[in-house]
Amino acid sequence: MLLQSVFTKTIRDRWLGMTIASVTLVLFMLYAMAVYSDIDLSIYTNLPEGIRELMGIPEGADAASLSYNVMLGFVGAITLAGLAVSQGSASIAGEERSGTLGILLANRKSRTRVLVSKMAAMVALTLVGALALLAASHLVPIVLAVEIGETHINAMMVHLVVNALFYGFLAMAVGAWTGNRSMASGVAVGVMIVSFFAVGLLPLVESLADLVRVFPWYYYDGSEPLINGVDWRHIAVLGGAGGLFSAFALVGVNRRDLRGPAVGDTLLDRLGAHPLTDQIFDRLAGNTRVARPWVKTFSDHQGLLIITAVTMFGMMGLLMGPMYAAIEADVAALSEFPEEVLALAGGGDFSTPEGFYEIETFSLMAPVAIMIVTIVAGAGGLAGEESRRTMGLLLANPIRRSRLVLEQALAMTLYAMIVGAATFVGVVGGSVIAGIGLSVAGVAATSVLVTLFGLVFGMLALAVSAATGRMAAAVYGTIGVALATHLVNSFLPLTDRFSGWARWTPNHYYLTSDPLVNGMPWGDAAVLAAIVAALLGAAVVLFERRDIRQG
Amino acid sequence: MTESTAAIRTEGLTKHYGDVKALVDLNLETRLGEVYGFLGPNGSGKTTMIRTILDEIRPTAGTASILGLDSHRQVQEIRQHIGYVPGDLALYPKLTGHDLLTYFANLRGGVDWSNVRALSDRLDADLTKKVGDLSSGNRQKIGLIQAFMSRPDVLIMDEPSAGLDPLMQREFQAMVREFAAEGRGVFLSSHTLSEVQRVADRVAIIRRGHLVAVEALEALRSKAMRRVVLEFAGPIEASVLEAVEGVRDVSVDNRRAELSFDGKMAVLLRAVAERYDLVDVNTREADLEEIFLTYYRDESSESREADDATGSPSPDEVTV
Repeated sequence: MLLQSVFTKTIRDRWLGMTIASVTLVLFMLYAMAVYSDIDLSIYTNLPEGIRELMGIPEGADAASLSYNVMLGFVGAITLAGLAVSQGSASIAGEERSGTLGILLANRKSRTRVLVSKMAAMVALTLVGALALLAASHLVPIVLAVEIGETHINAMMVHLVVNALFYGFLAMAVGAWTGNRSMASGVAVGVMIVSFFAVGLLPLVESLADLVRVFPWYYYDGSEPLINGVDWRHIAVLGGAGGLFSAFALVGVNRRDLRGPAVGDTLLDRLGAHPLTDQIFDRLAGNTRVARPWVKTFSDHQGLLIITAVTMFGMMGLLMGPMYAAIEADVAALSEFPEEVLALAGGGDFSTPEGFYEIETFSLMAPVAIMIVTIVAGAGGLAGEESRRTMGLLLANPIRRSRLVLEQALAMTLYAMIVGAATFVGVVGGSVIAGIGLSVAGVAATSVLVTLFGLVFGMLALAVSAATGRMAAAVYGTIGVALATHLVNSFLPLTDRFSGWARWTPNHYYLTSDPLVNGMPWGDAAVLAAIVAALLGAAVVLFERRDIRQG
Repeated sequence: MTESTAAIRTEGLTKHYGDVKALVDLNLETRLGEVYGFLGPNGSGKTTMIRTILDEIRPTAGTASILGLDSHRQVQEIRQHIGYVPGDLALYPKLTGHDLLTYFANLRGGVDWSNVRALSDRLDADLTKKVGDLSSGNRQKIGLIQAFMSRPDVLIMDEPSAGLDPLMQREFQAMVREFAAEGRGVFLSSHTLSEVQRVADRVAIIRRGHLVAVEALEALRSKAMRRVVLEFAGPIEASVLEAVEGVRDVSVDNRRAELSFDGKMAVLLRAVAERYDLVDVNTREADLEEIFLTYYRDESSESREADDATGSPSPDEVTV
């Protein structure tokens, strides 16, 4: 049944990514446990039960279980699930888009066997990553001489693997039915993010608490496997759904006409061709898209931009005000807790509207949203042109390399500003609707800061792509740096020895001054702007000096 | 621009990728008003040369100029005078042909859209479809229109007729000839000799980064090499044929012999008729392919060093 050649090729294509991810996870585990064993944990253990549960901290928490919480419950689970999604969406839809599936299937092998082999490769690689994480979870405490107490690491890992495969099979099923790789990974990642946040937020509202059972992430750590061991019912739910998806995938791939590498019509094209809507859409997606390189880059990802801006405006802006008003009473108790605890939860205080918005909207989601659009635009504009081999032709036109870099930076800056502005309007709107009285100046200051902060990473992606011409280096390198500075900035200030180090991360200049309350910290904004300018300068210089890559 | 201005000029142009010598000390000069063919097998350095003179990649040593302008320092000015068709053409798959040409026309400025219409009529190109949905030949047409539409002084094309059907190839060759007749320079790389044979005035032959020869097409043809097929009543020996001066590339299949010959036919015929019973003679002008291979052999000793460095098969393995 298994095609060994397909299986080994898939493994060979993917092992490097998995190895890098595994090594990174192991290093982060080492780092997290080292930090936690260095700080006074009484601030956690003294938390009231309700809050502790909310933060997923077991009773009598120690350095080990806190590290496991971060590394397995969040970073590790997201990473492995993300890699599975990437594989799942690449397995059929990806090969269709690159035009290689036809060759693969011309070899007298049934579609079923090809897909089963790719499934086996996905499972195998996920297990390898999980084993690395498992080994690190057992070994790191020994190396650091940390007491791990009553924690069920193996049980957690079972949940983690089944969870990752759930999303991988979901992506595979969507890809097998549609042949559309972006849709496959988009649907799977969308389900993952929405359910991750739902599981974090819904329990805060008593009347909605039961709704979490609809969201798959609940079956990952809803039963707190780290404390309670494997919950086989939850595993059955996740695993059963994953099995169903894999069956769907097998049926789908056999029923459908394969797509070629052709582009096909998008919804925009169809609306543009329709007599009722053509005028509007001609303006949206017509000739103006190709006026200049920055206009083209700007229009290349407008779908992503619109989705991101609307999400930040609606879900993370408007909705959070009424949400806070609804749970205000429940979280009032939180105000009694030491600042360090709340700082860890995202740098704010749940009990005030400013703190709530800071935690829910500004600490994580807004920077991530801006990073997504700027990294995509920044890496796509230079490295993307090179990997698609269009850069040579583009540069045969009378446009200087430096000018091209500046135009890409302009498109990226506009992206960041649009998402920042949408966040600003949404948060102010949410505050007005719920009558929670956020300072408009504070929201404005924070929105400007988050725009600059997100741009730092977009410019980093631009500079890396200017220096290397490689998409993967620009995207994954930037994500790696962002993750690292996030961890440094959120953990090191808790320690005595390393607390000063956080000022070497851009994150330190974003929320440390509490801009939602205190208004604009001009000095911090200047630091962020200077980093943006320096990275842009570096991008111009680096791109000027280099041989253009050919594919 | 006077006739004396070189379209493209390189001096000692050299490009190394690490240990690989992609281009070694290349000196050539092409003129305005001529079609200059740049011939070489795949991987011989044609694309590297073109990408170097366009400032996409930077030479390890040497210089290049286009219309007398330095290819690095004055690249911005150069770009206003050139049209370019990259090898293995890649375009933006999500744009329609129309949008794509508009994009490049905007970048370039001063493109007369009636040129685009005339070119797309001539090549029968579909500008309404997305480029990614076109077949490779139809995509190539968009690339050609893009290069011709600004009526550049110098056209640089890397394997430009890839994917075009024979009818379109002929149309394209006519366009190239017309362009040169207007006093513009055309630089055309190719590994298919028949194409160059039809359009080029002069031909440079490149092999493993070395310029092997530059000849007027007429001079190449005047090598007057012929392919000769001889048929005999009985079996023959190759050594007898090889002993005749001017004979090379002999292959014998029992009673049939094939060879290249650039001497007096009477000498050859006398030599074989003396020994064997000659039944039939068939002879024709050698095409460029065969002349080309002959060149390779003649120059093989010079670039032996480079062969060893790149590890490609030696020319002796290339047989006709």
